Amino acid sequence: MAAITAPAPGAPHLSLRGLGLRRGERWLFRGLDLEVRRGEFLAVTGPSGAGKSSLVAALAGLLPASEGGLSWCDAAGAAQPPAALRGRLGLVFQDLRLVPTLPLLDNVCLARLGRHPWWRTLAGAPREGEARARALLGALGLAEVAERTAALCSGGEQQRAALARGLCLEPEAVLADEPVSALDPDGARRALGVLRDEARARGLTVVCVLHDRPHVEEFADRALVIDPALPAGFAL
Amino acid sequence: MSAPKRGRALYERLDLETVLALLLAAAAVWSLPVLRGSGRDLDHWANLKRFLGRFLPPDLSVLPDVAAALGETFRIAVLATLFAVALSLPLALCAARTVSPRPLALLARLAMNMVRTLPSLVWALVAVAVVGANPLAGVVALTFYSVGYLGKFFADAFESVDLKVAAGLRALGAHPIQAFQYGLWPQARPLVWSQSLWMLEYNLRSAAIVGYVGAGGIGVQLHAYQEYYQWDRFATVLLCILALVIALDLVGERLRARLLRRTGSAETLAAD
Repeated sequence: MAAITAPAPGAPHLSLRGLGLRRGERWLFRGLDLEVRRGEFLAVTGPSGAGKSSLVAALAGLLPASEGGLSWCDAAGAAQPPAALRGRLGLVFQDLRLVPTLPLLDNVCLARLGRHPWWRTLAGAPREGEARARALLGALGLAEVAERTAALCSGGEQQRAALARGLCLEPEAVLADEPVSALDPDGARRALGVLRDEARARGLTVVCVLHDRPHVEEFADRALVIDPALPAGFAL
Repeated sequence: MSAPKRGRALYERLDLETVLALLLAAAAVWSLPVLRGSGRDLDHWANLKRFLGRFLPPDLSVLPDVAAALGETFRIAVLATLFAVALSLPLALCAARTVSPRPLALLARLAMNMVRTLPSLVWALVAVAVVGANPLAGVVALTFYSVGYLGKFFADAFESVDLKVAAGLRALGAHPIQAFQYGLWPQARPLVWSQSLWMLEYNLRSAAIVGYVGAGGIGVQLHAYQEYYQWDRFATVLLCILALVIALDLVGERLRARLLRRTGSAETLAAD
């Protein structure tokens, strides 16, 4: 794993140059130029099907750009493809992707699997991140259900555990696709508060798909609206 | 143009279930001649009463021998299931279409289909011919027989899991082997355990049968008592097998239910 030297806060971290994404024959958006600073909280909003999740997938390197380019900057300011940041991006998937048969705590600890060679984890999952996993679960109000099998937890509990997993990685950046969509208003504010506090404390860049305008106004530094009704398909 | 319309309406009425019912009815009529039996005027009811009368009362003096043979049957079933699980897991991975390349999956499924085609008794005959009339033959026969089933069950289990979970771990930086071990395997594991337990129960019943052709276990005794018309002793063996199967059924069912509960299919909604 590449060593991470202390990067300057406020320095460019993510750069999109004329990025365009297409789903089948339909362009979701084209010509998106954007620079996200290190430690910035960028909210991505817009109607369903506009391409918010596709953008997050592209930032994570899970979806190739249809046109244009995107790159992450390392501590020295050199451009890196998203694939180079694998293991350093805290991903929170819209469909959660928790292991249903494992407890929430184990699921959160699994975020750090990639830090260990595979032959060292054959006998069991590493527990070195357990203290941090427990702290995150506690902060998200899941301390009492930490040992409960994921499949037996409610949708909201699973969603908060997915957020904890993304943060447990101690990533450089967090890419969260609708991380609070299954939570009640208070729960959503609490979860986003944890995300913002972690981001501030550790200088994490956050790109977070959100639907509620109050959440965007309270937690985000900037908002990117992706909407096919807009002339360019997006607006900052 | 009324005739084609009527024809189409008739075709629409002939859905798959109706066609199957008609085919079954035709097959039943065609099969009726086998009910003629020998053609002799036999008193079937008296025959049955006389035959069953020889079973009673069961001769419990053979219980120690039966218990020892049942123990051997249990050992045959345990080892056969264990070996079958070990062989089936890699085979099932090859046969899972979501994990393996399509040609490999087809080849593995074809191999398992061929294994399943032969009944356990035929596998036992082959095993006795190869390793002799002993419990090892039972283990070998039931291992091969079980691989055909467990391989298919395990492959279906691997195909039923959510691959996105493993893909999610990969995206978080896990090695493919780690993604399999921690993302895919935990989802399939309860099913694999449940099916292995079912196979153990099944093999216990089969182990009693394969002994008929000399492959060890309680079946050897069953065969001997039948050969010498010792039906009261035969009845004791049957009662012991019945007790064992019922006990295993009860324990196995509870264990399987507990295992499958961990997949959360029934409880997820209740927890909301």
